[in-house]
Amino acid sequence: MSVELVAYGCFFLTMALTYAIMCLGLNLQWGQTGLFNVGIAGFVAVGAYVSALLTTPDVADRLGGFGLPMPLGWLGGSLSAALIAYLVGRLTIRLRADYLAIATFGIAAAVQLLALNLEPVTGGPFGIGFIPRPFAGRAGDPLLFSVLNLALVAAVVLLLYMALERLVRSPWGRVLRAIREDEPAALALGKNANRFRLQAFAIGGGIMGLAGAVQAHFIGFIAPENYLPMLTFQVWAMLIVGGSGNNRGAILGAVLVWGIWALSAAFISATFEPGQQARAASLQIALIGVAICAVLLLRPQGVLGEARVVSRHLLEAVGSRKIRVATDAQPVRQPPE
Amino acid sequence: MNPQVLIDGLMAGALYGLGAIGVTLTYSILRFANFAHSELLTFGAYAALALSSALGALSAGLLEPIAPFSFGWALPLAGLVAVALTGLLALAVDAILFGRLRHRRSSIIVMVMASFGAALTLRSLIEFAFTSKPAYFTRELQIALPLGQGMRATPDQLLSLALAAILVIGVHLLLTRTAIGRSMRAVSENQALAGVVGVDVRRVIRVVWLLGAALACIAGIMSGLLVQLRPYMGFDLLLPLFAAAILGGIGSVPGAMLAGLIVGLAEAATVQLVGAEWRTAVAFVILVLVLLLRPQGLLGRAQA
Amino acid sequence: MSAAPAPPPALATRDLVAGYERDLPIVRGIDFSVRQGEFVVILGPNGAGKSTLVKAIAGLVPIHSGSTHLAGEDITLSPVQEKVRHGLAFVPQTENIFATLSIRENLQLAADILPRGRQAAQIDEVYSLFPDLASRRGARAGNLSGGQRQMLAVARALVVKPSVLILDEPSAGLSPKIVGEVFARLKALNGAGITIVLVEQNVKAALAVADRAVILVEGKLRHEGPAATLSSDPIVGELYLGARARQGENGR
Ligand SMILES: Nc1ncnc2c1ncn2[C@@H]1O[C@H](COP(=O)(O)OP(=O)(O)OP(=O)(O)O)[C@@H](O)[C@H]1O
Ligand SMILES: [Mg+2]
Repeated sequence: MSVELVAYGCFFLTMALTYAIMCLGLNLQWGQTGLFNVGIAGFVAVGAYVSALLTTPDVADRLGGFGLPMPLGWLGGSLSAALIAYLVGRLTIRLRADYLAIATFGIAAAVQLLALNLEPVTGGPFGIGFIPRPFAGRAGDPLLFSVLNLALVAAVVLLLYMALERLVRSPWGRVLRAIREDEPAALALGKNANRFRLQAFAIGGGIMGLAGAVQAHFIGFIAPENYLPMLTFQVWAMLIVGGSGNNRGAILGAVLVWGIWALSAAFISATFEPGQQARAASLQIALIGVAICAVLLLRPQGVLGEARVVSRHLLEAVGSRKIRVATDAQPVRQPPE
Repeated sequence: MNPQVLIDGLMAGALYGLGAIGVTLTYSILRFANFAHSELLTFGAYAALALSSALGALSAGLLEPIAPFSFGWALPLAGLVAVALTGLLALAVDAILFGRLRHRRSSIIVMVMASFGAALTLRSLIEFAFTSKPAYFTRELQIALPLGQGMRATPDQLLSLALAAILVIGVHLLLTRTAIGRSMRAVSENQALAGVVGVDVRRVIRVVWLLGAALACIAGIMSGLLVQLRPYMGFDLLLPLFAAAILGGIGSVPGAMLAGLIVGLAEAATVQLVGAEWRTAVAFVILVLVLLLRPQGLLGRAQA
Repeated sequence: MSAAPAPPPALATRDLVAGYERDLPIVRGIDFSVRQGEFVVILGPNGAGKSTLVKAIAGLVPIHSGSTHLAGEDITLSPVQEKVRHGLAFVPQTENIFATLSIRENLQLAADILPRGRQAAQIDEVYSLFPDLASRRGARAGNLSGGQRQMLAVARALVVKPSVLILDEPSAGLSPKIVGEVFARLKALNGAGITIVLVEQNVKAALAVADRAVILVEGKLRHEGPAATLSSDPIVGELYLGARARQGENGR
């Protein structure tokens, strides 16, 4: 009994930590750089599918699998997601800020469609099964198996966390922050803001892809319905609860929101008759929406960093009148003519 | 290619065009991509559904189909009220959310994120209220009339097409021939200068919300009439609407309508030539192509 | 200054502090007043806050403290679109026309605040002042030359028959010949009774048409005097070269 409980606890935490990886990727994009990604599910799906394709044993009715070792699958998954993020960013980052949002929204829809319709590669609606699981040899001992899996995913999160913390404190990270808070100042300082943004967006996408791969191998089975827009909303809720711009918060938020989600889902299925469950679940999503709006209204500094303190110093340091912060008094320029 | 593609494409395209005009107007005045616009569409459709069933309950005669169409007087009456309600909803969301953020001079991306949050909230509340089961304005079956060349269309479809055409012309005239339209174009080019010249920017913003919401509501009702009502009906239209607004050129009403038709026709052709399962990819492909080749869109804002 | 109580100044600011961000004043306490029918030029080095001052008066930059008055009436708190209804017209330094609208639409937009019956007549009156514009009324403003754009900006401001006209560097980017033309127009308008406040970098040309000049340095008024005497005053060159103005020379 208690063994089962521990095993379940491990399972729950492992799942939550896979979301924490996504959340870390989103934090790099939004929290550190201010790039709005509404297609998280798409990048996660790419990571999951590519890794699954690379590592599953050869099957007759589908391309691959190639039976490669799992680490190669993870690497391939996250590189593919990074590549797609790079392409999306390349296309839109030089345009208006919200074109990136629209394009990521589109990418998620396109990936979903490919997963569903490209049956010879993705298995279509049935997805891909028999994805090799880490420590599969120990599957006979559920407790050990789940502890080992948790340890593995926790190690991935820890490594990623340390790497990101270093990155944020590096000169590269400082430039990102300068760009996020006051692009004109950063530009006047001679930095090519878009290149930095693009790098951050691609790395963030790669991290989401890694999350997809890790999750796919942990569950052992993927299908298109795992990567609906809902996933994107959840990860956003996690980052917002944890406090964006903060890597530890991102991890904590993921665990917390996943916990609340799992509990409320259990509550819903216990309290409502099956016909009404979907309905009650929609209230869950409404809450995410309200939370996003409330944070923007009530704690704006928590969403986009420490306001303008940095930019002020930059303005003074450069002392140039070329630097102008956009205000109501200055028309915002439209897309390039 | 089967000529019926033309009819199917025009039908979908007219709907996209109406929605995209709303997107492009609010975008050019408020300067952010409003992810909640699609929910105005959904809200409008469901508001009309609730009102028309209420009217039908009051007097069954109102549900009696009007001559060749599949719906009774309850629907147009309910539609008028739904337009007003959708406008009120847009104004309320602006007062609670966007207006405050604007006042604080929040960045574009904060506005986009807020619209995303508002969309999630609205959509989920609609799903909660009406469940995710598809709903219909009417159960009447309609016979498609032959139009020659092997094309067929139902009276409802033809009516929607005509209504869309009237609305587009109306909005175009409003923008080019009236004082409020002039103010709208002025604000979309240079908000500060518009204020200096005496334009009340806040009033213009209210008018734009009302106009965008009204068009969204009507597009939602059309979509509900020609297909069905679902809580995700607007969400699924979001990508085609954005694609059409950007393809047409942000701020351009004729551009949005033209681009809506292009997206609709391209979708219909894809369904014919490639397969129905790839339909939703069309908007994305078009979006990528525009951003790649002509990010300012076909007609740009200058044409307004 | 004359303490005669009779006519209030056409335009005045009292201890005006203004700037783009709350804790960063650019205009730092300015008392400034313009008599009815006067032609005043505001001079000062780049970044002195000249544009910020006039934008604050026009309602485009937040006022932190102090007040602005138009013909004795306090207009500090009236929103930007109301000021023009009080008779204050402003021509910004850059982007001062609607490039996507036609000439006619630019003027009609300004006329929209007038009673319907007077709109056409006042637009026609402006056309008669600017025949160049009248002959191209259907043209997109964005297609006009630099000089024509400035003319259109001035014309647009005149449609409502303002009592005070403020212009921010209308000569920027224009050839000397066109500058002369623009300034001659302004002088004529001033002769017709409109009070004019002109922000200028083009010191010589501006002093030639203005009655009085004020010099703004680092957000404060540093010097003022009749235009005629100022043009030979070494203080002008000194301030422009960025030399520290000694406290004793403040005001007058
Ligand atoms: N939109 C803005 N936001 C923040 N600071 C601004 C803005 N516009 C100008 N500034 C700053 O305000 C100060 C004064 O600028 P202003 O434009 O008033 O100077 P100016 O005297 O008009 O100069 P010029 O003769 O070059 O036009 C400068 O330090 C400038 O950097
Ligand atoms: Mg200036």
